[in-house]
Amino acid sequence: MRTVPLLATLLLAPASLAAQWLNHPAAGVPRHADGSPNLNAPAPRAADGKPDLAGIWRPERNQKCPADGCPDNQMSEQFLDLGWGLRGGLPYQPWAAALVKQRSEQSGTNDPTSHCFPGGIVRLHTYPTFNKIIQTPGLIVILSEREVTYRQIFLDGRPLPTDPLPTWKGYSVGHWDGDTLLVESSGFRNDGIWLDRKGSPLTDAATITERFRRVNYGRMEVQVTVNDPKAYTAPFTVVLNEFIETETELMDFVCLEINKDAPELIGK
Amino acid sequence: MARVLRCFLATALVALLWTASIRAHHAFAAEYDVKKPVTLSGRLTKIEWTNPHVRFYMNVKDETGRITEWEFTMGAVNGLLRRGWKTSMLKPDDSVTVDGYLARDGSHLANARVVTLSDGRKMSGGTMPDAPGN
Repeated sequence: MRTVPLLATLLLAPASLAAQWLNHPAAGVPRHADGSPNLNAPAPRAADGKPDLAGIWRPERNQKCPADGCPDNQMSEQFLDLGWGLRGGLPYQPWAAALVKQRSEQSGTNDPTSHCFPGGIVRLHTYPTFNKIIQTPGLIVILSEREVTYRQIFLDGRPLPTDPLPTWKGYSVGHWDGDTLLVESSGFRNDGIWLDRKGSPLTDAATITERFRRVNYGRMEVQVTVNDPKAYTAPFTVVLNEFIETETELMDFVCLEINKDAPELIGK
Repeated sequence: MARVLRCFLATALVALLWTASIRAHHAFAAEYDVKKPVTLSGRLTKIEWTNPHVRFYMNVKDETGRITEWEFTMGAVNGLLRRGWKTSMLKPDDSVTVDGYLARDGSHLANARVVTLSDGRKMSGGTMPDAPGN
């Protein structure tokens, strides 16, 4: 009779194990005695001695919770307004300021991400879905749950393209500056890229510089400088934080599965 | 009187905080009206574990006995599963209660902020205006 529970266990095990990927502990994580990850441990190094940025990262959750608690996802203030931490906000050109005002008044109804278009490289640092960095000496790949997309950052010495076909994520090359990964990107689309939910625009004149620094095991600081003279009166720099997720795996977010929201977005 | 005032201030504070009204996939205020909270109970007819938002449908009986099918949205699949949801928690014919907000378009559509399952558990729908689902 003992075989019955054993058989039942064996039959149920595959389903149970398959469900565990949402709770899958990553290998090589420094842990406390109780098994919890030691997020203050030093940043790890790759085999070539460079800081190892590999892992699953999520944006900072610094938005204030409502009075009755915070049972849902918090998100980054910079998701809503990239200029949140800057005195006076982002330095918009007059046309860009008018556009952002209009987009805000419409509750972000035309946000391209709400219509299942990609978010662009700045937005991926603030969008609350997870990103996975895969690092090799010559190439860094960032896999994103959001729209199930990829980003490539080439570290093989190639220059940025001089006459690129404009794309949502542009083209990215990088190199190590000490323990900081310095990435330059250009070749963005002239419309359709919002830097935040407010609707701060990005144009094809933009170059973006990112400085990735893994502060410790648990946190990565990404300093983002946007130089887009068509939309902004001066370059600006924001600092975004990302945090490691050690106990889970990526999970698809295919926005177009059943995007019934699009016709329901009516703004006011 | 002080109690009434405290209640009023608390409500005002919540309303003030909710003006940020935001979700990840789209702004909460673009689709739903935070000034129109609603509580509905009924039996589930269909559940869609899909992105960008999980949706479920429920037959709701009004005071005259007429049954109307309502549609509810929650957060994205990955966000809900990471917050403790399991797809088995909602099944057709389950009796549930939903606290949420009506859609701006006046249809039988609402967002589900809190779902009270048939066993009494309360689950966050991940779509609270100020603390968004994804």
